[in-house]
Amino acid sequence: MKITRRTALQGGIATAAVIAAPSIVRAQAKPSAARTVRAVFHGDIPTYDPIWTTANMTAYHGGMVYDTLFGIDGKQQPQPQMVGKWGVSDDKLTYTFELRDGLKWTDGTPVTSADVVPSLKRWAARDGGGQHMMLRVKDIAAKDAKTFTIELKERYGLVLEVLAKTSTPVCFMMRKKEAETDPMQKIDQVVGSGPFKLNLDETKPGTQYVYDRNPDYVPRADAPSGIAGGKKVNLERVIFVNMPDAQTAVAALQAGEIDFYEVPPTDLLPQLEGDKNIKIEVLNSLGNVGQIRPNFLHPPFNNEKARQALLYLVKQSDYMKASFGDSKYARTCPSFFGMGTPMENDANTDWFKGGQNLEKAKALFKEAGYDGKPIVLMQATNIAIMSNTAQILAQELRQVGLNVQVEAMDWSNVVQRRSNKSPPDQGGWNLFITWSGGSAIGNPILLAAHAATGDKAWFGWPSDSLHEELRTKWALAGTPEERKQIAQQIQANAWKFVPQLYYGQWMQPAAMRTNINNLLPVAEIIPWWNVTKG
Amino acid sequence: MAAVAEVARARPGLAGKFAVFARRNPTIVLGAALLILTAIFAVIAPLIAGDPRLMTPAKRLLSPSAEYWFGTDNLGRDVYARTVYGARISLVVGLSVATISVAVGLVIGLAAGYYRRIDGFVMRIMDGMMAIPAILLAIALVSLNRASVWIVIVAIAIPEVPRVVRLVRSVVLTTREQPFIEAAIGGGSRDFKIIHRHILPSTVAPLIVQATYITASAILIEAALSFLGAGVPPEIPTWGNMIAASRLFLARAPWTIFFPGAALALVILAVNLMGDGLRDRLDPRLARRM
Amino acid sequence: MTAYIARRLLSMLPVMVLVALFVFLLLHIAPGDPAAIIAGDNATPDNIAQIRKALGLDEPIWKQFLVWVSSLVRGDLGRSMFWNDPVTTLIAQRAEPTLSLALTTLIFAIVIAITLGVTAAAKAGTAIDRIVMGFAVIGFSVPVFVVGYLLIFVFAIYLKWLPVQGYTPLSEGVLPWLRNLVLPSIALGLVYVALIARITRATMLDVLAEDYMRTARAKGVAPRHMLLKHALKNAAVPIVTVIGIGVALLIGGVVITETVFNIPGVGRLVVDAIARRDYPIIQGVIMVFSGIYVLVNLVVDMSYTLLDPRIRY
Repeated sequence: MKITRRTALQGGIATAAVIAAPSIVRAQAKPSAARTVRAVFHGDIPTYDPIWTTANMTAYHGGMVYDTLFGIDGKQQPQPQMVGKWGVSDDKLTYTFELRDGLKWTDGTPVTSADVVPSLKRWAARDGGGQHMMLRVKDIAAKDAKTFTIELKERYGLVLEVLAKTSTPVCFMMRKKEAETDPMQKIDQVVGSGPFKLNLDETKPGTQYVYDRNPDYVPRADAPSGIAGGKKVNLERVIFVNMPDAQTAVAALQAGEIDFYEVPPTDLLPQLEGDKNIKIEVLNSLGNVGQIRPNFLHPPFNNEKARQALLYLVKQSDYMKASFGDSKYARTCPSFFGMGTPMENDANTDWFKGGQNLEKAKALFKEAGYDGKPIVLMQATNIAIMSNTAQILAQELRQVGLNVQVEAMDWSNVVQRRSNKSPPDQGGWNLFITWSGGSAIGNPILLAAHAATGDKAWFGWPSDSLHEELRTKWALAGTPEERKQIAQQIQANAWKFVPQLYYGQWMQPAAMRTNINNLLPVAEIIPWWNVTKG
Repeated sequence: MAAVAEVARARPGLAGKFAVFARRNPTIVLGAALLILTAIFAVIAPLIAGDPRLMTPAKRLLSPSAEYWFGTDNLGRDVYARTVYGARISLVVGLSVATISVAVGLVIGLAAGYYRRIDGFVMRIMDGMMAIPAILLAIALVSLNRASVWIVIVAIAIPEVPRVVRLVRSVVLTTREQPFIEAAIGGGSRDFKIIHRHILPSTVAPLIVQATYITASAILIEAALSFLGAGVPPEIPTWGNMIAASRLFLARAPWTIFFPGAALALVILAVNLMGDGLRDRLDPRLARRM
Repeated sequence: MTAYIARRLLSMLPVMVLVALFVFLLLHIAPGDPAAIIAGDNATPDNIAQIRKALGLDEPIWKQFLVWVSSLVRGDLGRSMFWNDPVTTLIAQRAEPTLSLALTTLIFAIVIAITLGVTAAAKAGTAIDRIVMGFAVIGFSVPVFVVGYLLIFVFAIYLKWLPVQGYTPLSEGVLPWLRNLVLPSIALGLVYVALIARITRATMLDVLAEDYMRTARAKGVAPRHMLLKHALKNAAVPIVTVIGIGVALLIGGVVITETVFNIPGVGRLVVDAIARRDYPIIQGVIMVFSGIYVLVNLVVDMSYTLLDPRIRY
């Protein structure tokens, strides 16, 4: 075809129309600012698959687009969510569930048992709690389009708890197509049945993730509590904005450019508290518990005495002060299960009650036969709390005459190096620092770090047969009272063999504009249903 | 003979001569004075300041006082002690980067400029290195490895090398055209002797100027790397990581940023002033180009 | 001329191959494990090992390199290990903010710097000259992020004249777009202003000393007209050279400025990717930046012929 001036002109107009069209459509579809919330969280969404990763940001994403069979309510009790009717056989070995009416995927197809069964299996392959349950499961099967069963080999008291929990990976339901993905591969499409849906046109990975209200979502009739109850959505759109710099985020919140900031640093709270447009709320009252993990494979911490010495050495209040100042949101944590959790107790906590005891620590290190070899402490420099903690720990270790080698690196390097089992001078390590959510710390089964199965255990590879015996006993216990009693035994033993120790516990208050109301307090997930603006 | 006479003449009026030099080159003298002062502080730091690493969380974010002249930071460390000790790293990083990049760049540049056979190959590699953004290369190098002062120095020095190579090579190329060199080559002198005797001297002036600018930019890049969390280990006080660690406290505890920030700007200013002065004095041609 | 361009473009090839090899080796020899980051903190060692295998990270390095290079040749930069999106899409999404910032910074810097440089040269030796040049040295000496936070505090928080952070796409209007770019452009442009102002002053002084300028003065051409027309035209070549060199400076500055002002550009994309070890993104962005650098320098060389008729290729 010859290009004449006229055809070129027409082409130009057509092109202009094509380019203009999507923006017109977008302009029409854009919801009003009054029903849009822009929220900044602690990080970026690393990947969309909440089963594949245990990252909390992905769980936040999952909580928007997916739904769960059961959900933990405000009193930490599991309540049915996608499930309508359910029952358990008299021998407590067969659980029968029936999906409630009106559940639909965002592609328009109904949610059926054929979706649920592979979803459960994929999740159970990846989740610590799920794996623990699967050891006792004979079969998970679909009975009809809406009914499915879980058959057990032996009694297991935690079935509903693991299905309902908010610690990651959360048991989200996916379409059959995605659910049948190899558990080690990530899913490639985001199709859920949750209260929101991901708007891929407006989403820019690493910058902003846009969630629109799912108009087809049918909430339960009961009142919302935790992640249970009716997930009624009052907003049109929630935008997860990624903003890595805290100072910038606080300033943006004050300027009204964002509506919600999950993790304002404690030191900036005074600046926000003085602002009449801002309010501060604790959403996760269990907060986080800071962990120090000793390596059981190499001296000196292959010796119980050296690990016990750490208990006497670490002065938690100093750590909390360094990172949080004189904050009402930070506290010390003598309980192995975290403070404020159902399993909190004070068994075997003399080391804490007596306060920091440098002489005792020194003596215990001597008993452990510490020979002056450098102790390799990994410091994640790009995460302020971990960086501060490593520096204080190094100072304390030096105070009792230990030779400390602080290895500064970014968190990516820490997570790689911590999996190295070699001796510290050959690429391994002696100590590293992290933290976990209080609700996970409070559960001996759900937190991977609570296992003491040696080679198979979490980094640090603690090994203790009594601990393992007690954990199983706890999982199978019938009543809450029985569990509490076993928890005391676990703690008494844990503070003897010291699989890990704590440098404190802190709540992270969130800051938001005063016109954001009705955020439900939940551990490890931030629910955007029920929230109102204005 | 002439030199001896000059020294003899200078001896009685050394102070006077310095005054003349200072009047003619105020920027060199001012810059050098500031730098020497900083270096003295860095060397005698243990005598004039307490432990820069000592953390006293109970005394965090205190404003400047008789006990803590520059106040304390968020971990309750003495900002004065850290600022004084910080001079060490800034100077070490600045000077090491300048030395390493000039030394490496000089050797490669001489080789490339003198031996025309390898010139094309070497300069392509240099082009490749120049094409990688320096700061990204440095961030990647530091954060991919364990943080240490040496990694930071190497990471900052690598991108500087090709710039030195280009400078040296261009000097060699112009010098090589001179008749006396052609004569020396024709006369059968050995390469080493020619380079050492005839070519090397002409690179000295532009290199000294270049080295001062590299020093200034290295100190700045170290600060930038620390700001992005890819710098020297946080245990070691540097002005860069002091500013980075305190940026949350700009409003609440401005002294945590003000003192290291002022020290940083002052030292870079000193180096830049010296560089300008040296350039004007040593290399009028370069002076016009810059 | 065409032959010259072709030759220069061809000479880019070995440079880019070197960059590719260097970047790949740098990333894959260094420690850091994307699989562990993807899996999250609560994952067991077994899970992490399985993810590493699924990502192909357990293959030998030379094999991973060949896979990457062979797709690179086809213009495919691969896919992010964390999201499913192709790296080219991710870079394209982030290109507008970065280009906008670079553009406004350049315009701001050149306008201010040439004004300052010409003024200083015209008033050489006076107090004005010394003040301008003193400012230039200070401009070199204050880190971008310090200037950035200072500007945020003064203009965004206390005076509330400008937004604290963020980026508004050009499609939502020129004014909102500009409002977000004012502070970052000043913070980033300061070094550039200092650099260009000095060069402008120096070259202007050189040109003013040339014979034809003296002749022009003798002929009684008005001083201001003379300065602008003759001198600036002749000073253009070295100034353009500095702008070429400055592209590297700009790319580096963009990385920091985007972090301070939370501009969702390519710089932040790569900084985040480095922290997470998302290799395809790091490699892709460095390749793109390097390509831009080489191309800009090519364009700078080309522009010599336009600015100075004496130069011919």
